[in-house]
Amino acid sequence: MNRLEKRAWAELGAVTLCVIIAGAGGGLMVYMNTKGMVGLVSFLISGLIAGLISYRRNIKYWAKLDEREQKIANRARVLWSCVFILFLWCASFTVFFIVGAKSPVPAYILPVLFLSGLFLATFIKSAAILVRFARGRDDE
Amino acid sequence: MNSAHLSNQIRRLRFENGEMTQQQLADKVGVTRQTIIAIEASKYSPSLTLAFRIARTFKARIEDVFQYKDKDS
Repeated sequence: MNRLEKRAWAELGAVTLCVIIAGAGGGLMVYMNTKGMVGLVSFLISGLIAGLISYRRNIKYWAKLDEREQKIANRARVLWSCVFILFLWCASFTVFFIVGAKSPVPAYILPVLFLSGLFLATFIKSAAILVRFARGRDDE
Repeated sequence: MNSAHLSNQIRRLRFENGEMTQQQLADKVGVTRQTIIAIEASKYSPSLTLAFRIARTFKARIEDVFQYKDKDS
C-alpha cells in the first residue's frame, strides 16, 4: 500500500469520524434547541483549527508524491468537487420541489445537507483512488 | 495525448543494465515502483523531465527509450 492509498483510507476514516461527531453534536443542539452566537463561534474556531492543520499536512504530503500520484490525486480532487456540487445542487432542488416554494424548512436540514455532501464526496474520492491503485496492481 | 501511442524499451534496458529491478530504477529517478510499472505497461505517459531522467539512467537517448507512434503511421 503506497502513500496515496494510505491517505485515502485515512481520509475515509477521518470523514466518517467527523460526520459521527458532528452528527452527535448537531443532534444534541437540535434536541436542546440551542441558538445564539456561542454555538456559531465555537463551530467557526474548531473549523478554523481543523482547516489549518489539514492545510499544513497537505503541503508536506503533496511534496512527497511523485508525478503520477499527483495526477491521480488531482483527478480525485476534481471528482470530489463535482460530486459535492452535484449533491448540493440535487439536494437543494429536491427540497425545493418536495416541500414547495413557500413552505418552511427546519434549519438543521442545511448542515445535514452540507455534511452529507462532504461525506459522499470524500467517500467517492477515496474509493476512486483505491480502485485506481487496485486496478494498477493487476499489472504487477 | 493517448498513452497507448507511446511505447518504450524500459524493460529491455533494465535487463541490459545489470538486470536492474523496477525498484532500483524507481529509486534512481525519484518515483514509486508503481509508476515504473505503469510506464513500462504504457499505461502512463511520463513527463518530459521524468522521461529524460529515465533515459539518462540508462545512458541512452530519449528516443531509444520512448517511441511515439502516430495514428497514421
